[in-house]
Amino acid sequence: MTADLMVRVRGLRKTFVLHHQNGARLPVLDGVDLDVRRGECVVLHGPSGAGKSTLLRSLYANYRIQQGSVEIRHAGEWVNLADAAPRELLAVRAQTVGYVSQFLRVIPRVPALELVAQPLLGAGVARRDAESRAGALLARMNVPEKLWSLPPATFSGGEQQRVNIARGFISRFPVLLLDEPTAALDAANRAVVADMIDDARREGAAIVGIFHDDEVRGRVATRLHPLAALPEAA
Amino acid sequence: MATASASAPEFSSTHGPLLRVNAVTRLYGERTGCRNVSFDLHQGEVLAIAGESGSGKTTLLNCIAGRSRPTAGTVEYNLRHEGLRDIYRLSEARLRLLARTDWGFVHQNPRDGLRIDVSAGANVGERLMAIGDRHYGRIRDTTGDWMRRVELDTSRIDDAPATFSGGMQQRLQIARNLVTHPRLMFMDEPTASLDVSVQARLLDLLRGLASELGLAAIVVTHDLAVARLLAHRLLIMKSGEVVESGLTDQVLDDPQHPYTQLLVSSVLQA
Repeated sequence: MTADLMVRVRGLRKTFVLHHQNGARLPVLDGVDLDVRRGECVVLHGPSGAGKSTLLRSLYANYRIQQGSVEIRHAGEWVNLADAAPRELLAVRAQTVGYVSQFLRVIPRVPALELVAQPLLGAGVARRDAESRAGALLARMNVPEKLWSLPPATFSGGEQQRVNIARGFISRFPVLLLDEPTAALDAANRAVVADMIDDARREGAAIVGIFHDDEVRGRVATRLHPLAALPEAA
Repeated sequence: MATASASAPEFSSTHGPLLRVNAVTRLYGERTGCRNVSFDLHQGEVLAIAGESGSGKTTLLNCIAGRSRPTAGTVEYNLRHEGLRDIYRLSEARLRLLARTDWGFVHQNPRDGLRIDVSAGANVGERLMAIGDRHYGRIRDTTGDWMRRVELDTSRIDDAPATFSGGMQQRLQIARNLVTHPRLMFMDEPTASLDVSVQARLLDLLRGLASELGLAAIVVTHDLAVARLLAHRLLIMKSGEVVESGLTDQVLDDPQHPYTQLLVSSVLQA
């Protein structure tokens, strides 16, 4: 069933070189292979420092790929993030791969509803439709309606996180990367996010995530992908 | 990570690049302004050029914007109906026309981009007249529209920009540039001379306009937070050379070059 395969990682290696700390070398990933299919939620699992975030960020081309390949099925074709041109990467991010972190990058003066609707507006969806979907998601995330018209700079951490999750889920990306989206949420909101992840997966998204909360992890994961910390290079 | 960065514009894979910068070098006698810089820019892409003062950012911008002929290398622009053409092989008149219709240039100091003693309306309307519009009422209407879009009070249309605040002058300079619907904007430290609160407002405005109008832009900035907010792509310059380039978040979150690592780690929060 290779038609279901959305993410194909082969031999991915990553070493950070810190030039201003005597050129210290921090090997983090050493030959990772990973396949993710539609309808799967693969949870990266391992101790702190095992490279979970590094791998997830590599799947978004946020971290550069030094060795190996990260291929994403984008518009029916395989695109290797390791050698794609900047505008191909931008197109992959605009249409295929979404990344939801726990932190909202607030944009001055932009209200919450607009922030959530922006990915749809950028994709050419009519403003009224984009805003009504944004409102529905914010309501589902229990963000009070009186906050929708305000820029989230003054929101609490949990409120900002929920705005960010709504923004991340609005586009229904075929590939969804989740970097601890439920950290700092209360139990009720964790359950809402878990439901949204399940819904996205049933609609055919290929999902890769990091979840420290055992309960959420057990609830959303269809499979764990183990990662182990590498010994530090001499 | 930039999960709420500028929303991506529509990318068309069928068009070639809007701009092609090929091995551009500008020397001032023995001294290097910039050396061997190459990149393509496509419609709707915003590219930031960052680096410390004296790194060659503005020299490079002036070479690309047709204001300073490179010592070596070419700058090609995708002319409507003609495709990529070396801008320094166009006639001077043609290059001037290009610069005031299809391009915009926003200077760090608005006084360099405005006629400070003629009215705000005339500053904006002038670019329309330069491309042959002679209908006074229409020019005035269009000018009023653009003043509104950059959030200027249209009751100030007959006032000289000398009476405006720095932030208002900068917005007027932007309106003056956008009125001819350029496809490419050059911006040299557009927010550097403004208070922080005014900067945020201007950045948000620029961000909105760029994505709404599908503008391509090259923004010179020393401020990595400006690059993060506005730009899809980022070039880092040092001593006249590009030492690193990539998507903005790649360069800022996973810097490879020692100089980029120093730059990123020196910033409070970018």
